Formats: sequence, structure tokens, C-alpha cells
Amino acid sequence: MSNADKRTDVSEGSSGDEYAVGVPEGRGRDRDADGEASTIIESRDLSVWYNDNQALRSVSMEIPEKRVTAMVGPSGCGKSTYLRSINRMNDLIDAARVEGEMLFDGKNVYDDDVDPVALRRRIGMVFQQPNPFPKSIYDNVAYGLRLQDRTENLDEKVEDALRNAALWDEVKDQLDQSGLDLSGGQQQRLCIARAIAVDPEVVLMDEPASALDPVATSKIEDLIDEMAEEYTVVIVTHNMQQAARISDKTAVFLTGGELVEFDDTEKIFENPENERVEDYITGKFG
Amino acid sequence: MSNADERFGRVSRRIGKLFRAVLFASTLAGILTLAVLLVYVANDAFQPLSADPGWHLVFLLTLVVPTVATGWWCYRRSYGTLATGLLGTVMPGIAALYAGGLAALFIDVIPTLVWLSFVIALAVPAGVVVALRRTDRSIPFLAELGAVLGVTAGSLLVVPGLVQGLPTVPADWMVLVLTLGLPEAFLLGRWIEGRWGRRDGWIAGAAILFGSAVGGVLGTATGFGAIPGVALTMFAAVPTALYVTIVLRERPERRIGLLLPAVIVGGALAGELLVGALGLTGPAAWVDWGFLTSTTQSGDPRSVGIYSGIVGTILLMFVVAAIAVPAGVGAAVYLEEYAPDTTFTRIIDVNISNLAGVPSVVYGLLGLGLFVRYAGQPTGTLLVGGATLALLVFPIVIISAREAIRAVPDSARQASYGMGATRWQTVKNVVLPRAFPGILTGTILALSRAIGETAPLLVIGAAQVFGIPDSWTSTIGAMPLQLYVWASTYASPAFYTTVLAAGIVVLLTAMLSMNSIAIYVRNHYEQR
Repeated sequence: MSNADKRTDVSEGSSGDEYAVGVPEGRGRDRDADGEASTIIESRDLSVWYNDNQALRSVSMEIPEKRVTAMVGPSGCGKSTYLRSINRMNDLIDAARVEGEMLFDGKNVYDDDVDPVALRRRIGMVFQQPNPFPKSIYDNVAYGLRLQDRTENLDEKVEDALRNAALWDEVKDQLDQSGLDLSGGQQQRLCIARAIAVDPEVVLMDEPASALDPVATSKIEDLIDEMAEEYTVVIVTHNMQQAARISDKTAVFLTGGELVEFDDTEKIFENPENERVEDYITGKFG
Repeated sequence: MSNADERFGRVSRRIGKLFRAVLFASTLAGILTLAVLLVYVANDAFQPLSADPGWHLVFLLTLVVPTVATGWWCYRRSYGTLATGLLGTVMPGIAALYAGGLAALFIDVIPTLVWLSFVIALAVPAGVVVALRRTDRSIPFLAELGAVLGVTAGSLLVVPGLVQGLPTVPADWMVLVLTLGLPEAFLLGRWIEGRWGRRDGWIAGAAILFGSAVGGVLGTATGFGAIPGVALTMFAAVPTALYVTIVLRERPERRIGLLLPAVIVGGALAGELLVGALGLTGPAAWVDWGFLTSTTQSGDPRSVGIYSGIVGTILLMFVVAAIAVPAGVGAAVYLEEYAPDTTFTRIIDVNISNLAGVPSVVYGLLGLGLFVRYAGQPTGTLLVGGATLALLVFPIVIISAREAIRAVPDSARQASYGMGATRWQTVKNVVLPRAFPGILTGTILALSRAIGETAPLLVIGAAQVFGIPDSWTSTIGAMPLQLYVWASTYASPAFYTTVLAAGIVVLLTAMLSMNSIAIYVRNHYEQR
């Protein structure tokens, strides 16, 4: 209940300048008062190949816990590849090969004794296109819980997840209707509810708002802001303003799979070290 | 047109037009040849010219004209209305065909008591599974599987003997109502409960159960037969009633389409009455009740029938489906979801496509070598015939199932894997449910290919003269084989234009009914 109310407040309060064009005024968030956060994900010299094409070049980066970390860059720069190498979704592609280390909670997830399925149960994922299952709204949210046989108090957990995804009020009377009957924005929030229902530590988002209209996008952005209270959020986005609005840290990838700069969002957008990054975020190229 | 603007000139279309005309001609050639053949066959099978002209006139006025008029009127209202009407006409027809086939099985092949004993024997392990699920979920999977398999084996060994030794024997219709009507009432009741609420579900379930019992009693009383009575109620009347109810309740705008089947049935009845009253004789058709139910094999076209062929084909199809579908779908799932992309799997890929094109005679020889010579089975039995035809359709099932699985969007798999699902969980929860309609369509089309195959059956030594099989090892015939026998062993001009044509009509009806079911399933799920 409180979450839903808060979300409405946030969206109303900030709707005026939500889509102001131009160089954004740095982060619209006030979370850094909490001080430094501990690192939950760290990559060391991570390189990824698809057959002979190198998609990531020796990327090292530390992602803080319970913060929103954004990854920006032009198409084909490797930001999605990086995201998918965190929960080993790249394993599903036969041609992909990984070198280097990706530490989650201090453990290299590419070690032989790490079960990728168990890993993915701790790291949720939301995709670019909303992809609910052709099942009821309830069954969509319960999917992960049922996979893990965590079916005690299922109703409660489904309701909590839908509330946390700011969708409960819109769907509470139609839980047995198909998830595909919802609008695009609602479908994406359903996917977020599905991801957080199993209570993961990290939620990875691969351009979650790029297929949505501005109103739905703004709801998703507010939701991401909320989510950072409980989860570590790593988000890939094409949209500079979006990265500036919602993230604490920003990583800029440029062509060739190189991480060019990684720093506080404010710093990246106001005073980037690298000239190419400045050119990119001010729209001179990319 | 001819005086083209000089600034642009004209580009010649002459070759294009010629090409188009040739294409059109080749299309027509194929379709016309087929149409002529079908007309020829239908003329021989139904002998329409032997009827009184008055008979034709009566049915033209009572049946054809009203049907065409109603159909046209429905079409003018909306395409959906006409579709509803056609479905309401075709569905009961096809359902009755299959109900008839099922009845034939219970009348002549499987004694109802044996059937009952095996159903009870399988119900015991099913009950054990349910009980295990309810009580404790912490049992290791292998222990559960072992227990269930053990109970199944034990129950299959003990229960049938016990049941068949019972002093009092239930009537045929009671057995069918118990073993088929009860599950149908339960399943459809549950389905209706989900659709319209609990009360309607109970009412429907009770109505189905009661209706099938009434069908049995009426069948006995009228001399029509208890088994056909129950089968027709359960598998033709119940689905039809359900369809009518759904249309009436959920598609009010299409309700009027149900007029079409009503006009057809009413017209046929009226025509029949009128013809009887006027004393007009109908055509001396070769496809008649006697032809469909006679098992006689002789040189006299008047007395022979296709009944043993029909029963043989039904049994063969059961065996083929039981072997080819699990194996084919399993192979498809493995190749699409599990197999790594290696040279080995690519070789398999190419070879499956080639196997689908291997001539059926070769499969017959394979069956002969594998099952008869090597495994020492007797020639021409139900088991050997079914297994050989299963080999034939196996690659077709794999290919169509793979296509259905490949059509499941990758985003659905990603969503599942992203939630931490294992491969098995993803296949079970996401891939197979979405691919199911496609797999079903492909399977039906594969079976409809097997239904017309003659060569493999000949090669494995199916008998030229056959009766109704009564066990796995009795010699089997099939409809196409029956046609072959009439065209070879009993070859005479009298056969060519009489029962052979009638047999073709029966075989084509069976095949087209299967194809139409496949097309319906595909369209139904594509609309979603």
C-alpha cells in the first residue's frame, strides 16, 4: 500500500521536468547521502568473445550494493553482453566464450563449482521487450516461486511482488487473466514483479523502457528508484537522460567493447575525464 | 493506354503475361484432373443417375436450395456467422465418424470386460501418484518413480485377472459410461467450471454422465446397440451440445449461424419423408450401410464390405501414434532444446530431412528385415504393421514438431532461464505448452499420411484376405490394402466401377476428416 502511494507521489512530483531536453542536471536522486556502499559485483579483466568477435575487452568494474548502476553506450558496445555475463545468460549462446573473472558476492561465477541455474535464482532479469508468459497474471508472478518449490503463502508473496512493482492496484481484480492482455507498460511491470517475487539480490535490466511510451517509461523509472532501496539494480539504457535521472553510478562503453569511463553519475555527466565520453553524452557522436 | 506518354515510353509486359498464362494453365491442369477423377469416383460410388429424377428434385428443393440460401445469407451477415454454421455442421459429422470407429473397436476387438480390467489396473497406480503428491513432497524423485513403476507393473499383473474373474459382469454400456463417460464428465465439468462457474460445471458434468447412460439404455432398447449408443452420445452429441452452448452463451452475434445445420438436418429429414411418401427410389449407392459393415471377402461386389479394413486402419493408427509420437516429439525436443550445435547434430539434421523423403517401400523392407526376420515376429501382424508405419512417419513427426518448437519465441525461453529455471523446467513449462498445437497439427498430418500407405503393409506380408484382428499378433488389413486387394486379387471390371470407388470414397473421407481437424486446430490457435 505504502509503496504504491509513494510511487504516485514521486511521479506526480517530478512529472513537470521529467522529459526536459538538453543536458540533464546530474542525478535526480538523493541516495548518496548514505555514503559509500559496499561492492556486490566486481569484474576483473572480463573479456567475452562470440566466435572470433571480441564483444568485451578486459572490463574491470565494481558495482555497489543497493544502488542503481547504469550502462550506456552506442549499439554494439558490449553493454548488454556485460549485463548478461553477470548471471551467465551468455552460457545459452553456444558461440560465447568468457575470460577473466566476474565476482558476485566475492565468488567468481565462472568457477566450475558455480551452478548457473542457482546463480540466476539470486539475480533477477528484466528484458527489453516485455515477455510475460502466456499464463495468468498470478501464474506469471508465481512462476519463479513454483520453480523453486517455495509455494508456502504463495498468494501473499504474489501480492507483495505486485505491490512492489506498483501493479497491484491495477490488476488485483484480474489476477486470473492472461498477462498478455495487459498494456506494454503493465506487462513490463509484471515482468519486474515476476523478477522480484523470488526476492533476488540483484535485478538486471536490459533497456527495460525502450519499447515503452513516455508515460509507461516514467512509471518504470520511478519503480527503479524505489527498487534501489532493497535491490541492487544494474540497468542498460540507450537513453542518456534516463541514466542521468535514475542512476547513482554510470559506466560508459564505447565501440569495441571497451569500458571507457565508470564513475558517479554526477561526475560522468558534468565533468567526464574522457573526451570521447564527453562527446558521446553531449550527442556529438554515437 | 496505348498512346503512352513520350517522356516515359513503355516497358513491354509481353513475356510476363505469357508466363502468367502458363502458370495459370498448370494450376488448372492439376486441379481439373483431380476434380475429374473425384467426380468419376463419386459417380461410381454413389450412382446418382440410378435414382428417380423426382428424388433429385425433392432433395434439391428441400435440402440443396435451402442450404445454399441459408449459407449465402449467413455469409452476407458476416464470415464468422457462416464459419459457425459450417463448424456446427461438419463437427458433429466428423465426431460421429470417430465415435463410430470407437464403437467398432469395442464391439469387435476389445471385449468391454477386458477394457474395464485394464482401466482399473491403471487407475491403481494413478491413485498412488495422486496420494504421493498430496502427502509428502520430499520423497526423492527416483524413489517415487520406482514406487509408481512397481505398483503399475504389479497392478497390471494382478488386477485384470481379478476383474475378469468376477462372478457378475456389468453390461457393456455401464462399462463405457464408467471408464469413458466418467472421465469425460469430470474433465469437461472442470473446464466449464473454469469458464462459467462452479454451478454450471457440476450441472454439465452430471448432464454428460446422465446423457451417456441414457444413450446406452436407449441404444439397447431400440436395437441400435448399447455401445454405439454410448459412443455417439459421448463423442458426438456431447461435443456438439457443448459447441452449441458456447456459441449461444458467448457469441450472440454468431448465434444465427446455427440455423445452417438446423436447415440441413431439417431439409434432409423432410426430403426423406417426402421421398418415402411419394414412393420415389433413391440412387443405388455402393457406399451404404451394408458396404461399411460387411466383413465378407469374395468375388461378389454385392456382398463385400470394407469393415475389416476400417477396423484394421483404426488399430494401426493407434499403434503408429503410440510409437511414433512420443519418440518423434522426444527427438524434436532433444534436437531443438538440448543438442549442442556440432557436426554430429548437423549430420542428424540433414539425415532426418532425407529420411522423410525415403520411398515407403523401403520402410516396408526395413520393417520386414527388422521386425520379421530379425525379431522373429510373424508376418503381417498388427504390431509389425503399426511399427513399420511408425518408422515411416517418425521423421515427419520430428520435422513438424521441430518446426513447432522453433516457432516458440526465444524471448519466452530467455524469460524462463532468467528466472533460474532449469532446461527441463523451461521445456515443460514454456516450450511444450506453446508448441503443443503445432505438434498436434503435425502429428495428425503425419498420421493422415500413414493412413493411405499400402506398400509397406504389402512388403511386411499383410494378408490378401483378412478378417477383424483380435490380438496383437493377428493378421491385419487396412483400408488402402483392401482397395489394393479389390484391384488385384478380385480384379474384374465389376469391381473397378463399384466397390473400389466406394472404398476410395471411404478412405478419402477418413483422410480428409483428419486433415480438416489439423487445419481447424492450427487456425484456432493461430487466432490467439
